[in-house]
Amino acid sequence: MDKLMSDLKTQIIAQLNLQDTKPEDIGDDQPLFVEGLGLDSIDALELIVLLQQQYKIKLSNAEDGPKVFKTVRTMAEYITAHQPQNA
Amino acid sequence: MYIRATGNISPQKTFGHQPLGEAVAYTGNRLACIEPDYKVFIDPKQIRRMSRIIRMGVAAAMECLQEAGVKVPDAIITGTAYGCLEDTNSFLSKMVEFNEELLTPTSFIQSTHNTIGGQIGLMLQCNNYNNAFVHRGFSFESALLDGMMLLKENDANNVLVGAIDEITNTSHTILNRLGLYKQGPVSNLDIYKTKTKGTIAGEGASFFLIAHEPSTTDYAKLDGLHTFYKPDGITEIEKQITSFLEKHAVSINDIDLIITGKNGDAGEDKIYEQLGKTVFDSKDTVDYKYLCGEYPTAAAFAMWLAANTIKAGKLPAMLNATVSTDKKIDRVLIYNHYQGIHHSLSLLSAC
Repeated sequence: MDKLMSDLKTQIIAQLNLQDTKPEDIGDDQPLFVEGLGLDSIDALELIVLLQQQYKIKLSNAEDGPKVFKTVRTMAEYITAHQPQNA
Repeated sequence: MYIRATGNISPQKTFGHQPLGEAVAYTGNRLACIEPDYKVFIDPKQIRRMSRIIRMGVAAAMECLQEAGVKVPDAIITGTAYGCLEDTNSFLSKMVEFNEELLTPTSFIQSTHNTIGGQIGLMLQCNNYNNAFVHRGFSFESALLDGMMLLKENDANNVLVGAIDEITNTSHTILNRLGLYKQGPVSNLDIYKTKTKGTIAGEGASFFLIAHEPSTTDYAKLDGLHTFYKPDGITEIEKQITSFLEKHAVSINDIDLIITGKNGDAGEDKIYEQLGKTVFDSKDTVDYKYLCGEYPTAAAFAMWLAANTIKAGKLPAMLNATVSTDKKIDRVLIYNHYQGIHHSLSLLSAC
């Protein structure tokens, strides 16, 4: 899980072009949207694409979005539970 | 109408309203813009979504508005021929790479030609008239004409007008392959000596705040603008120039300086050389594309140069002119053509 969260932080920084942000600046349980990293709805779309590109996971229910993308940890948990080999 | 303020990012040191120094020399057939520290003008959170051309356009526009002391203009009008090439390239590459399935939204959203005008509007919270013109070699002139009409019809008191075009690695490779640019090592300062085919690639972001009423800090008066498409030979070009001047009750002898769009391409420069023997004979003439390179909206750089020359009353050091630098310059005619197809004339004078 720790390795996955570390990879996710690097991928989020690259995908969203978060200049001046390092992986260690993002806490495992820090909110990604609004008060945390300050991400917005366009970033949410980018994160959906990231899940598909990097982990071949399609978010089946859009209403799950806020829960899945709440923190790096919730994203990692969703990936672990939904990766094709685990399906 | 009056040019109240300017903002310009180009391959020369033109940003920041510093005194205009000597021309920056480049080797090779591509001139890239000298970019400022964008964080001074743009919130870092917004910068991350902006590609280079968007940053250049937004920063040039912000500098122009700051100089004018205008927070929200009555209209924002931009002209671009190529649009946001880097974003378009990124978006199209991903379409191919991911079999048209997984497209990242940011580069798609930012790839449209009106992105820069839209970004400026968003940053200023400006809901006023906002338009973008994409008319190849007439893109800047069309934007300017729209702004002039808004002022003339009293639909606006001030208008932010700008032109932006970038050259990317991909576009440079493609246009180079089409034979647009010079081959082999060439210095921008020597392009008029080569007498060979091709020019040098350029790019830039030039913005102007034009206003209906004069102010004490105006750069110049914008007396007229005229465009003509695919003229039928040199005689028609001469006629167009003569009738443009007549329309504005000006004789060629009233012009202190002519700025032409000579770009070093032996074929395209023939028009300027012909005019030098007829309508422009014995007139003080300078060229500008060795400073900014050739691109479809390069005429905006010429207008920036003309406005600054008139405001200073003399030629800037960066112009390698044969014209006497002591001469007071009050009236400037700009004649530019893009690939022999899109021709434009602009007339500026001291306020």
